[in-house]
Formats: sequence, C-alpha cells, structure tokens
Amino acid sequence: MDFGLSAAEQDFAEEVRAFLRAHPPETFPEDGTDAGYGSGAHSRAFTQALGDRGWLSMSWPREHGGQARPMMYQLVLLEELAAAGAPFGPLPGCLQVADSIIRHGSETLQREILPQVARGDATFWQGYSEPDAGSDLLALKTHARLDGDHWVLDGRKIWSSHAGIATYGTVLARTDPASTRNRGLSMLMVDNRLPGMDIRPIRSLTGQVYHYEIFMDGVRVPRDWVMGKPGEGFGQLLKGLDTDRFWGRFYKAPFLRRILGLLVEYVNTPVEGGTPPVRDPVVRRRLAHAATEIAALRALFYRAAWLIERGRPATGEVSAAKVMADELGQRVLSLGMELLGPYGVLRAGSRWARLHGEIEHQYQTSWGHTLAGGTSEIQRTTIAVRALGLPAEPRAKA
Amino acid sequence: MDLSPSPAQQLLQQSARTFLQQRCPPERVQQLALDPRGFAADLWKEIATLGWPGLLIPPELGGSGGSVGDALALVEELGRACFPSPFVGSAVVATSVLAAAGGPRARKLLPALAMGERICALAVLEESGRLDPDALALPGTAPGRLTGRKLFVADVHAATDVIVLGRGPAGPTALLLPMDRGGIEARPLDSMTGDKLFELGFADVETRSDDLLGAPGDGWALLAPAFRLGALARSAEMVGAAQRVLELCVEHARVRVQGGRPIGAYQAVQHACADLFRDVESARWLTWETGWKVETSRPDVDAAVATAKAYCAEAALRVARRGHQIMGAIGYSEEHPLHLFHKRILAASLDAGDAALHLETVARAIGLP
Repeated sequence: MDFGLSAAEQDFAEEVRAFLRAHPPETFPEDGTDAGYGSGAHSRAFTQALGDRGWLSMSWPREHGGQARPMMYQLVLLEELAAAGAPFGPLPGCLQVADSIIRHGSETLQREILPQVARGDATFWQGYSEPDAGSDLLALKTHARLDGDHWVLDGRKIWSSHAGIATYGTVLARTDPASTRNRGLSMLMVDNRLPGMDIRPIRSLTGQVYHYEIFMDGVRVPRDWVMGKPGEGFGQLLKGLDTDRFWGRFYKAPFLRRILGLLVEYVNTPVEGGTPPVRDPVVRRRLAHAATEIAALRALFYRAAWLIERGRPATGEVSAAKVMADELGQRVLSLGMELLGPYGVLRAGSRWARLHGEIEHQYQTSWGHTLAGGTSEIQRTTIAVRALGLPAEPRAKA
Repeated sequence: MDLSPSPAQQLLQQSARTFLQQRCPPERVQQLALDPRGFAADLWKEIATLGWPGLLIPPELGGSGGSVGDALALVEELGRACFPSPFVGSAVVATSVLAAAGGPRARKLLPALAMGERICALAVLEESGRLDPDALALPGTAPGRLTGRKLFVADVHAATDVIVLGRGPAGPTALLLPMDRGGIEARPLDSMTGDKLFELGFADVETRSDDLLGAPGDGWALLAPAFRLGALARSAEMVGAAQRVLELCVEHARVRVQGGRPIGAYQAVQHACADLFRDVESARWLTWETGWKVETSRPDVDAAVATAKAYCAEAALRVARRGHQIMGAIGYSEEHPLHLFHKRILAASLDAGDAALHLETVARAIGLP
C-alpha cells in the first residue's frame, strides 16, 4: 500500500502553499458566513483567485477545458486550503455541480455554466430539503411542468446554504405529477435571477445568515436546463449523495487538526498567577486523544476517496466518515470551549476574546453539521442497510 | 496513493483465512483459552511450514524477509480468527529485537524461530506495570548473577527462550536466556483474557557474557523499535478481531427475529452496527497508513504508531463492548465466541504499551511538552 503523494502531487501541494503565502487568506473579502465545515467563509474573490490558477477545473476532462488531473490533486488542494484556514466555502459545491454537469448536463448547460465555474464566477446552492421533506426527502412537493420550451417550477426549498449569494441552484422537483416517491423526479438547474425566485435569509443561532428559504412561483426554467433525462433525478441524487457527503466533509480532518493546533497553543500560553493548563494531565490526555481521533478520521476519508476514485461503492465509508467527522467536530469544539473557560463564550472582536473568537463560532456551527447533508441518524441507517445489508425498517403506512 | 494490498499480501491473507477457518475454529480457540496450559503446538508447527514465524526474518537466516505490511496483513487475519499463539510476541517483537541485535546467539536462534522449533518470550514489565525504561528494577549484567522477577510475561508456557530487559550499570540491558537455564521459575498468573501470563522468577540465575543482546546500556534502544512494531501488530490484531465482532453482530441482527422482524430492522440495532463499522474501518485504515509510514521510515513514526495503537485500542474495545449489547444474552455465554474476541482485544490493548502510555507520546508530539 502507498499512502503517499507522488512527486508531482507534492509539487502541487507546494504550489498551493506558495500561493497561500503570496496571497494570505485573510486578505480576501468575505461575502458569506463560515459554516464551520472547514471550508471557511464564502469568498467569491478567493474562489476567483483559485479559478485564475486553473484549480477549479483541473480535474475536468480536456474537452470541457480541464486538465484531466487525477482526483488526488483535488484532495491535495482542499487539504492545503483547510490547513491554512482559507475561505473556500463555495468550492466543494462547485466541484460537485461541475461533476454533475459533465456527467449529466445538456450541451447548453455545459456550454453556459462550466466556463463560469472554471473562472470562479458561478457558485451553487442545493435545493433538496423542504419544510415538510427533511429526512424524508421523497415527501417533497416542489414540482415542475413542461410548457413549451420551459419547465414551470413551483414550490419551496429550505436550509439551502449560501443560496442568497450564489448564482445557481440545483433543485430537485417532481416533473411527473402522476409519480410518487422516488420516481418522476428531476434535477433542474435554476438561475437565481429568474423571475418568480424569492430567496429569503434565515438567521441561524450564530447570529449570522448561512441558510436561505427559497420560494419558487411559476419560475420558467429552460427545457434543457434539466440534468440528464427528466425522471432521473433520484438516481442522480443517490449517486451524488455519496460524493456530496464526501466533498462536503473531506477537509474536516485538516480543519480539526488546525483547531487542535490552536488549542495546543492556547494551553501552552503562560498564565498570570497560575500554571499553564498544559501541565494538567487531564488536559494533555484529552488533547492527545482528540489527535488520535482526527488521524483516524483522515485515514477513513482517504479510504473513501480511494474507493470513489476507483469507481467502487463507498456509501458506507462515506457515511461513516461523515458521522465521525461531525460528531468528532462537536467533541473537539466542546473540548475547546471547556479549555477556554469563561473566555470561550466571547465572540470574535470582543475585548479579551481568545484565539480570535474562532472556537465560539465553530462550536456553534458544529451543532448544524450532524443535521446537514443527511442527519447522523440517516447516515447510520444508510450504513446499516446499504453497506452492512441489514433489512430496511418497514415504512409506516401513509 | 494506492490502498490495495500487494498481490503477495492478498495471497497471504487468503491462505491465512482459509487455514485458520479449517484448523482454528472458535471451538479450538475456546478449548485453548480454558486450558491453563493451552498452547497449540500442532498449529505452531503447521504455520511454520507456511512460513509465518519466519515472515520478518531475513532470507539468509531462514525467513522470508517480509515487509511490515506483510506482517500486518497476516496479523489482522490472526486477530480475525482469535488465533491463540505467541505470534506477535515471538515472531514480531522478539524476532525484531534479535534481528536488530545480531551477534552469534541471535543469528543462531533466528533460523530456529523461523522453523518453528523455538519460540522466544519477552520479560520486560515489573510491578509498576509500565513499559518504561525508568521503571526497571531487575538487575541486568552479564556475566553475573540475576535475582528478582518480571511480571506479565506472555508465552512462557510455549517459549524455549526469553529476552530479559534488566538494569545494568550502563542502563537498560537486554539478555537472551534459554528457559531451561537453572534458577528461572515460571509461575502462572490467572488471567481472564485466556492469554497465558506468568510471573518469571530469577533465583541466582547465571548470566554469561554471550547472553548480552547488543551492548550493555543499549537495551531500551534495541527494544523500543521492536515494541513499536509490536504495538502496530497489536493494532492490526485488534482490527481483525473487531472485524469479526462486527460480522458476528450483523449476522445475528439479520437472523434473530423479535417482534415480527429481524432485530437488524430496528433502528436502535442498525445504528449500533453502523458505529461498529465506523470504528472498524477507521481503525483499519489508520493502522495500514501507519504501517506505510513505518515501512517508508517517515520521521514521525513514533507518534504515528502511538496514535494508531491508542486509537485502535479504544475503537476495538468499543466494538467489543457494544457488540455484547447487540448480541444479547447469547453473547454472554461461554460457548459463544464473542467473549473470546473481547478478551483478545483487551489483551492486545494492554500489550506493547497501553493507551495511557501512547497518548503521552502523542501529547508530546502535538506540542505539549
């Protein structure tokens, strides 16, 4: 086995680090909240800077303007960006949607959208959840009917990240009115600027806006802005969920390692009139313990990556890594709050705030992670049924 | 990056799995665990013909010169079968000590270990129970006389030789003694894990100058890398055992019907099984990644192995303990194999440094001086 980077991959990692040294992440304007997954804030300027270097499209096939670089380069990029705390919030969504468009998109979508993604001009929101369709996603009510050369889209989506500042959404809608559950669904690409779109912010418990609720009222979407054939939405969703969950969490291990580094620095800091916490054996033990879990999480993500890269089923590994990432994140941030004591609750910018108030913010965001992208309960059920082959729990009669 | 085992490792794993399924079923493990003198001499001879005890011995000394990854591949299978044997102690740790020490005694013993004719135990821990050079009290000089005792010495019931780490004037000193040297007395410790543990008493035992392994005072430097490899091998053993617990639990959850459906169709049980899967997979890939770091002599190997051993111990014990809840009352019975895996994991978690020791290594490595 070989867990290492090739010489070319190491060169690329160094190239990314050199870019980050020359363009410190904190110098880029941020236009959206850091949701705490490790991908930092939403910064269009930073996304565009990545686009300028060709890094957004580097793994695409050459006929779509890419460089056909192996997936490993994307992993290297994300890991380096996360370790540096860079604001690449929209990047995972861009990689994911571009991959979908390359696989399933019409020629129009490929021609219209891929160049914008490559430049860092287009960012995306996902329209899956609805007020009455959360973990039971197939209970969704958003629907679209064909009217001439357009789909007419009506419905309501919720908990869509960065929707108000993104460019396009991928909306799961029922396109066959006679269908139920997983049949007759389609994935539509929807331009935020279309008439009938009403995108409203939802303030989260952090006091900031990350999620949006989207009201779609007679939105006319061009007929060929559907991904693949109509009715294929569920299959694409299922296929996409594994990779979504992967790309949505992969960088959490380097992120948590960075947070752990901050905590290590903090407990080493001399305190007036006392011994620094680093002398406390319980503190040492708990930080070391967190380090072992982060290392194991990273190994599990690489295992999942390797399966995905080989085109092998990775559902169980990806769901397990997501559950572990999000629950471990909550534990590490909770430990951080404990170590900071009364300083822990002070917000960034507040007098006496420690570690730039980052622990407070990431602690709060962590409580959304075990819900977003499929709750931990859904992930565990997925592992049990799809990876371990346990029988599905019978559905309640409607 | 390439996370597939080499063709040779796949072959080794397949042949080990087949052999152990046929020759070491749970009933045999059980019988050996219950027998206070239980050692499968017949199986040890058979695995010697398969070349296992010589896996890490260089070809010129009768072994096959396998890699760290080869050893992990095999030991994971030994764990999966809960194979009771001195393999990790003799064929991994003691073998590594002897190979590193060199010298006529070691070079004579290694071919015999490869042939399965001799087995070598390690006597390091004392009353403190700590794997720590500062905790050594037993004197270790050669030539000289040796009086005192070692505790928690495994494999004595099967061993023909023992490596003893004592404290000499120059520091920790390793000695290689034949078990039949006059004055060595083995007193069994009754352990719940089914592993055979002993107190090894030394009553005015003669030590000769050619008993020295390495130079006087170099004992810890000689043993530390071998224990590092042992810690990694124990991690792989725990992964294999935890994998089998996962399989037993999933199989039980599929077929055990209560309330009109298999218990595996209840979320409470499904989610417990999912956690077992997470623990097994994360522990496995951390172990393999660490094996790669050791093989490629990465600078951070000490911390990497400590990380793997501490994590695998915690994860595998969690699997075993949660497994009892999934398996229900049948898993509480002696005839069911679950407890054997649990106890094997427990024994492995304590060997080659427990979690507390390894976490302290990790603490220093992450910047906690």
